[in-house]
Amino acid sequence: MTTKTLYNKTGRYICGASMPAETRQIQTWLSCTKHNKMSVSEEEKAIIETLILNEVKAQTAYPLFYPKAEAPWWQKITAMF
Amino acid sequence: MSRNFTPDEILIDQLVLNDTDAFEELYHRHCYPLYSYCVDKLNSPADARSIVRDVFIRLWEKRQTLPVGFSVSLYLYQEIRKAVVLCVNQKLEEDKDLFTIQTQIIPGFAVVNLQQAKKPVRKSSSEIRYINSLTPNRANKNYWWNYNPSGITIKDIKMLLQKAFNLL
Repeated sequence: MTTKTLYNKTGRYICGASMPAETRQIQTWLSCTKHNKMSVSEEEKAIIETLILNEVKAQTAYPLFYPKAEAPWWQKITAMF
Repeated sequence: MSRNFTPDEILIDQLVLNDTDAFEELYHRHCYPLYSYCVDKLNSPADARSIVRDVFIRLWEKRQTLPVGFSVSLYLYQEIRKAVVLCVNQKLEEDKDLFTIQTQIIPGFAVVNLQQAKKPVRKSSSEIRYINSLTPNRANKNYWWNYNPSGITIKDIKMLLQKAFNLL
């Protein structure tokens, strides 16, 4: 398959004008997770999560409009156990 | 993340009340699997990051109009799949990362590679045995034989009956 064919196929799929066989091909490709073998440590995962969350916070600015309620002192102590 | 597990449905209900903690809990649950899926499909961590970010921004912005019985995981995966196709299309339109597309993405559309998706997921025999022991399955006779949620044994019942007869 050439890049031009893929471009036409994905374009038709996005517009909802693709043939059933094309739709099935793209959906099967999307469902195929055979090569999913990312080995990332927990620390790296946490860094990625924090980075994306910070971007979400920056774009939606929700901490400014909906600040978090401070947990009472007794809840902080019970959370330790 | 909270210490007690809260189902997604309850977190969605809290999301409607602008609960940022609920949003972050949902985010931490689903973020990394979505991110790794995007990286797997696009071979581009930067694109994966922007897709995941946009999907969660849309979820936050749509929180007031979420329908009843809304499934977060289903919604997120549908959105991610759409965004992945859109991203591939945009890259092709702008002639960006053509080498990656030619070497990494296009081979994924080959029939041999697509057939992998149709194969059933194989589970180890120990996993299957564990699942069978949990679910009420007619084929699994041991489940019904050993089903005893109250913890009362036949010995206990015999003892109680004996005491009752003695009293009578």
